[in-house]
Amino acid sequence: MPTWAGGLRMNDPILFLENVHTHIGQHHILQGVSLGVTPGGATILLGRNGAGKSTTLKTIMGLHPPSSGRICFLGKDIHTTKTHKIARLGMGFVPEDKAVLFNLTVEENFRLSMIEENEKIHKNLEEVLLLFPALKTFWKRKAGLLSGGQRQMLAIARVFVCDHALLLIDEPSKGLAPIVVNQLGEALVRIKDKTKVILVEQNFNLACQVGADCFILDDGRVVFHGLIRDLAKDRAMMKNYLGI
Amino acid sequence: MISNQGRTRTNPFILNPMVCLYAGIIVLLALIPFIFPSFRVMDLMAKIMIFTLVVASFDLLLGYTGILSFAHGMFFGIGAYSVALILYHIPKPSWYHILLAVIISLGVSIGMSLLVSFFSLRVKAIFFAMLTLALAEFAHILGVQWTSLTGGEDGVSFVLPGIFNFNHSFGTLFHTQVNGRLVVYFLILISTAFLFAALLRFTQSPLGRVLKAIRENEQRTIALGYQTFKYQIYSIVFSSALASMGGILYAMWLCYVNPDSVFHTAIMVNILLMVLIGGMGTLYGSVIGAAFFIITENWLPGLLKSMAAMVPENVIIQTMADRWQLYFGIAFVLVVLFFPKGVLGTIRSRIRQKKILLNTLFKY
Amino acid sequence: MTSQAIDLKTNRFKTNRVKTGINWLMGIGLFMLPLIWIDPITYLTLTVAGLSLGMLIFLIASGLTLIFGLMDVLNLAHAAFFTFGAYTGYSVLNLIASFGWIETASLGGSAFFLMVALGTAGCVGAILGIITERLVIQRVYGDHLMQLLVTVGVSFVMVEILKIIWGVNDEVVPVPLAFQDSFIIYGVFVEYFRVVAILLGVCVFAGLQFVLKKTKIGIIVRAGVENREIVETTGYNINRIFTLVFAAGAALAAVGGTMMAVFNQAVNPGMGDQFLIFALIVVIIGGMGSVTGSFIGAIIVGLSFNYIAYLVPKMALGVNFMIMAIILLIRPKGLFGKE
Repeated sequence: MPTWAGGLRMNDPILFLENVHTHIGQHHILQGVSLGVTPGGATILLGRNGAGKSTTLKTIMGLHPPSSGRICFLGKDIHTTKTHKIARLGMGFVPEDKAVLFNLTVEENFRLSMIEENEKIHKNLEEVLLLFPALKTFWKRKAGLLSGGQRQMLAIARVFVCDHALLLIDEPSKGLAPIVVNQLGEALVRIKDKTKVILVEQNFNLACQVGADCFILDDGRVVFHGLIRDLAKDRAMMKNYLGI
Repeated sequence: MISNQGRTRTNPFILNPMVCLYAGIIVLLALIPFIFPSFRVMDLMAKIMIFTLVVASFDLLLGYTGILSFAHGMFFGIGAYSVALILYHIPKPSWYHILLAVIISLGVSIGMSLLVSFFSLRVKAIFFAMLTLALAEFAHILGVQWTSLTGGEDGVSFVLPGIFNFNHSFGTLFHTQVNGRLVVYFLILISTAFLFAALLRFTQSPLGRVLKAIRENEQRTIALGYQTFKYQIYSIVFSSALASMGGILYAMWLCYVNPDSVFHTAIMVNILLMVLIGGMGTLYGSVIGAAFFIITENWLPGLLKSMAAMVPENVIIQTMADRWQLYFGIAFVLVVLFFPKGVLGTIRSRIRQKKILLNTLFKY
Repeated sequence: MTSQAIDLKTNRFKTNRVKTGINWLMGIGLFMLPLIWIDPITYLTLTVAGLSLGMLIFLIASGLTLIFGLMDVLNLAHAAFFTFGAYTGYSVLNLIASFGWIETASLGGSAFFLMVALGTAGCVGAILGIITERLVIQRVYGDHLMQLLVTVGVSFVMVEILKIIWGVNDEVVPVPLAFQDSFIIYGVFVEYFRVVAILLGVCVFAGLQFVLKKTKIGIIVRAGVENREIVETTGYNINRIFTLVFAAGAALAAVGGTMMAVFNQAVNPGMGDQFLIFALIVVIIGGMGSVTGSFIGAIIVGLSFNYIAYLVPKMALGVNFMIMAIILLIRPKGLFGKE
């Protein structure tokens, strides 16, 4: 069983990365990222701008295939798998921006993410709409006409509907008003109880609210792994790696 | 923009290596008819010169300003037809009618290009390309259907007046007939040399630099305060005028025009191929592209036919050899996909990469 | 706050509706204009002819606008798909004629043979589309300039191959005799074939709209156009989907080609280029990426071409250019354009 920075051992990780390097063009963004994610709850990826958090998510998802290293999801090696196949294995992705389709209605956005439309999915849909009532009101409306916060809810909801094993969510709170961020936090807390979430966040409070386990990335490497409440006590590390 | 943009005025203009090369080429071209008295060689050289001009003007439009217009061939055709129609319809033409043809074709070209450029600003690039394609096809159809003016599909045949008349002879010089054709050859040489130089000057002028900036990043250039559309209009009008001049020279050389030889989309595809082979954005590349294309065009059918003659029974091979344009088309697609920078473009980017490499090495 | 914002938006929508209604009325009025110079019977004949021409142009234009609007790819090889389709249809009809069925077939039989020809052409078009997309288009996604250049080249190559297979001359297309008959309604001669063309065009339009708006694949395609990444991360193989769309567009062009071959009763290697202008004009008038736009645009072009061809023959093509120019001046995106 591999170990990660911080020396904590993991049992039966849903996903682990082993010494992953990613190049985008000539830039060496991820320089040996190793991390593992246990089932249950939410794992937070923290770090400054440009540390490589989004790239890590995109690499896991297959949008930027790693130049070396190993990624293993639910026991399968996925570092050479194509994105759509990774998605079908049970991974959902909410990107940083352009996470919903503006020209499609809310209904169509959901329909798109429901690859198979069976009873279970429809049940999920009902539950999700209870969680995000605003989406039901604007069901037939084009997603581009929703407010920023509603769009972000839609982005997360459409991925959540599908019973994925793992959700990768990239900076959902970016650009949102504080009250909307609160609502977002509540939604994420409910979601993480049902599906494993890897959350990339710059908003530390939101991160503490949602997750317990966290990794800090800096310059394309993992520099800390532990519980977020332990991190909150370590002022020096917070300043150094998060700039807080 | 600090200092004098790196121009060091230590060498007088005449000794500049590029100018020497340029002059040398012109002298060489001037001597060709005397070294190789065959008509075929002169024909090849004349066509190369004409198409260098046309392709270079297209490169100004596409490579420097970043505008793709399929109407370039149309302007070429306009020039050709102006000369042809004037010399055909006027009973006893003299040399100033040629000048009249130049003025008319310039007028029509400038007028049309202004019209076309007006539309280019209101619509996005792809619309513009499609518009010009439609326009070029329209010109072709007009040429075919307006039989009363243009002679339809059969085209128009005419003779050149005065000293340009091919039958008019001055005697011999160095064992070569000095006749009207030679005079036209030299006219082509002088005109293309002059117009090509004008094109070079244009691109190296401040106007040309703004065009380069527009091609790199139009928004930024606008933000810097330049009215980009004005420059785009200059570019379109200038390049169209040059294409028309090329058409005039072409008509004078062939003494025959018809819609398929000057308005057909194949001409446009050929120009595109020449620009791509030579290298977009490098005016000198058009020389390479035009030379390569015209020599191959001349020589490939013969080669294929002699290859096909080895298996005279095989009908498939015969037809495949007949359609040599097919191979040009394939070459075109391959060049676009795999060598989009063309000969000169690739050379230049290699040099640039080496320079960057040297620079980074010398930093440490 | 949010509900207020939405209310404002619906109000704006309402005034837009009124505006659209007025535009429609003006448009229809414009098309009644030729009645001043043409007698009603001839007008109706020309209208039917114009509508059928329009439907044929729609078939070509719809493929073009689909490929651009949905895949953001400029496909000038469309003309070649069209011509290949025409020649395929010609060969199929020749084959049927060699059995002697062309002369003997009834209206129903002729319709069946036409379907066979169209189906074959469509398949050939689709295959060509798949090959082109896989070999060439996939390498130039995102670069409009390269797409234009490459597709022009591919078009050229395809036409040359066509000339090798079928020769360079014009060929006469055997048309089922039943189609050359006409029936009379209120004194107006209506050729059966024209009606078939109109029906086909309307069916294709309805079919396209249905697939795009109501089916899952339509949603996936529309989504993929806007944002490839999301569709990929949702679990769909976007490459395969785009190949499908391209093949569909090519098949439409090929079907249009066969229809045009029967319409004109002749094929020649250059016919693609000639009709490409029509298709381009229609797509520019209607708006890139809008199937409805090319439908309406095709009707406009078909009708105006026929009316003017009757009144002032030489101006027929010129009129379409003028219409395109006018529309570009008042609405550069086209009537229904999105981009």
